[in-house]
Amino acid sequence: MFLKHVWGLFANPQKEWESIRDERCSIGKCYCSHVLLLAAIPAVAGYIGTTQVGWQIGHREVVKLTADSALYISILFYLTMLVAIFTMGKLIHWMGQTYDAKQTLPQCIALAAYAATPMFLAGAIIVYPILWLDLLVGLPALAYSVYLLYTGVPVMMGISKERGFLFSSAILAVGLVTLVAVLAASVVLWDIGFGPQFTS
Amino acid sequence: MATQDTYNYTVVRQFAIATIIWGVVGMLVGVWIAAEMAWPALNLDIPWLTFSRLRPLHTNAVIFAFGGSALFATSYYVVQRTCHTRLFSDKLAAFTFWGWQAVIVAAAVSLPLGYTTSKEYAELEWPIDILIALVWVAYAVVFFGTIAKRKTPHIYVANWFYGAFIITVAVLHIVNSAAIPAGWMKSYSVYAGVQDAMVQWWYGHNAVGFFLTAGFLGMMYYFIPKQAERPVYSYRLSVVHFWALIFTYMWAGPHHLHYTALPDWAQSVGMVFSLVLLAPSWGGMINGIMTLSGAWEKLRTDPVLRFLIVSVSFYGMSTFEGPMMSIKTVNALSHYTDWTIGHVHSGALGWVALVSMGSMYYVIPRLFGREIYSVKLIEAHFWIATVGIVLYITAMWVAGVMQGLMWRAVNTDGTLTYSFVESVQAMHPFYIVRFLGGTLFLVGMLIMAYNVWKTITGGKAVEAPIPAPAH
Repeated sequence: MFLKHVWGLFANPQKEWESIRDERCSIGKCYCSHVLLLAAIPAVAGYIGTTQVGWQIGHREVVKLTADSALYISILFYLTMLVAIFTMGKLIHWMGQTYDAKQTLPQCIALAAYAATPMFLAGAIIVYPILWLDLLVGLPALAYSVYLLYTGVPVMMGISKERGFLFSSAILAVGLVTLVAVLAASVVLWDIGFGPQFTS
Repeated sequence: MATQDTYNYTVVRQFAIATIIWGVVGMLVGVWIAAEMAWPALNLDIPWLTFSRLRPLHTNAVIFAFGGSALFATSYYVVQRTCHTRLFSDKLAAFTFWGWQAVIVAAAVSLPLGYTTSKEYAELEWPIDILIALVWVAYAVVFFGTIAKRKTPHIYVANWFYGAFIITVAVLHIVNSAAIPAGWMKSYSVYAGVQDAMVQWWYGHNAVGFFLTAGFLGMMYYFIPKQAERPVYSYRLSVVHFWALIFTYMWAGPHHLHYTALPDWAQSVGMVFSLVLLAPSWGGMINGIMTLSGAWEKLRTDPVLRFLIVSVSFYGMSTFEGPMMSIKTVNALSHYTDWTIGHVHSGALGWVALVSMGSMYYVIPRLFGREIYSVKLIEAHFWIATVGIVLYITAMWVAGVMQGLMWRAVNTDGTLTYSFVESVQAMHPFYIVRFLGGTLFLVGMLIMAYNVWKTITGGKAVEAPIPAPAH
């Protein structure tokens, strides 16, 4: 069954997290039924947005990417998201020992994957790669992801709300660090020749 | 000899109150210049209100007046409490307070008037520099004199960090400020050309490493265990990361001079040491956070502990970001952009300011013998400040990367795609968000000032007796 938790995470997060927990699905199944599909939304939207729609800075002519270049970047973007979800899950699992949470790795990955749902969905807006519009849609999505994280941690990790609060904050901090790492890696990749090619 | 039986809290109280006052002033100037970046007309065409003059006033006020006073206050408090003895000399301690306030006032007057050496974070002219050196040497005498007459056999690790901070800042300040006077408020650096730049950034980065890191780690190592009522997670780790930190920081300065006239090998050395620096930095962060493991229940009710734990998290984040930005290829994009400003503020607001505020909330009620006026207001301060920091950092990330990309974009014929002013225009919305983030942080500081005011009015100066050390 694909994407069955998406609606519930918006309608009734608390209950949905419980049902995700009780499902105890494997890493493979979690990726196949949820992550692989949802992560495709921003990747495909990004491809369409950068090749077909384009963006403007000031009153310049519209900037677009060549189809080849956009394809490379979209694929890299897609893979980065898959790896990032796995990495976050792994880090949650590692930190869990500190917080007396005894969860299996698949549960931790599921936590990372389902908490990211709003951001994956909001990724559709990149078909219009206009910064202010993307921020307008992206920031509320980010806020809802954070909310999902805070509600999900006590349920998924089986710990008290107080401890969950601190654990969630630690996950956010680790998330920020991961974000900076991705940012730095992108800059390095760009420099060694994986940068975008613009249509002229 | 009745006075010998109590701690010298007078100077600690003075510096604690100075911390709050200068915090408000420094952050207010910061918010003002953030507004000038978004709406340049706010300089009102008055020379001393221009960004170029107020910016060094902001940095000096928050680093040396706010941060410096917090360091003086906490180091005097910690060294007395952990050595079970009164300060070495009350007179010298009083001199460091009044001397330091004189330095701050001199800076607040001379910088807006346009007097500057043009060295970043060392803008003050030579007569003020001499006063700083005198105060600092007096500070070292008081601090190490107190350690010398300690009643405990052991020197607690927080004092190691404070001690390293005091010695290193003395060396840095005296070497970097060496100058030939050319009149009362004008001088020329004794170093020339690229050597001047290298000395300046050896100073500049170690000001970050020792003034803004080692000293505040001293705070962390005293106030986190105290507030959590738990011992330091690993004392061995604290000593190992102390030595690793002071050895490594010394060599990281050249990363401020990537792709300049500085020899390439020196730039590479700076980059490698900056990357290595991640290990000792995270050693400290892990030690701070792990000290809290097992004290989770306290976090629910104790906003002071939240200030401390979040500050250590920001310390971890910004000490990860720093090494990333020192990588030459990343630096080629990030340098001279607002990404740097965001990085500095994740360290300055997230780490330095939050850990100072947490420590002040711990120490001020104890200095005046009263409970804090309102725990709810501490809670409010915490959330407002945290939201402010996040807004600030994210706005600067987006702005910085965008600037970097626009500046390096070239057309097929090799000409630049964008003019500089177009990149400035593109920054406008992010500068507004940054202004909002900064305003929130300032509001938090004002709430703290109100809370502290209500706490100390009606309080009385505490004379704390010195307990006999346990052996």
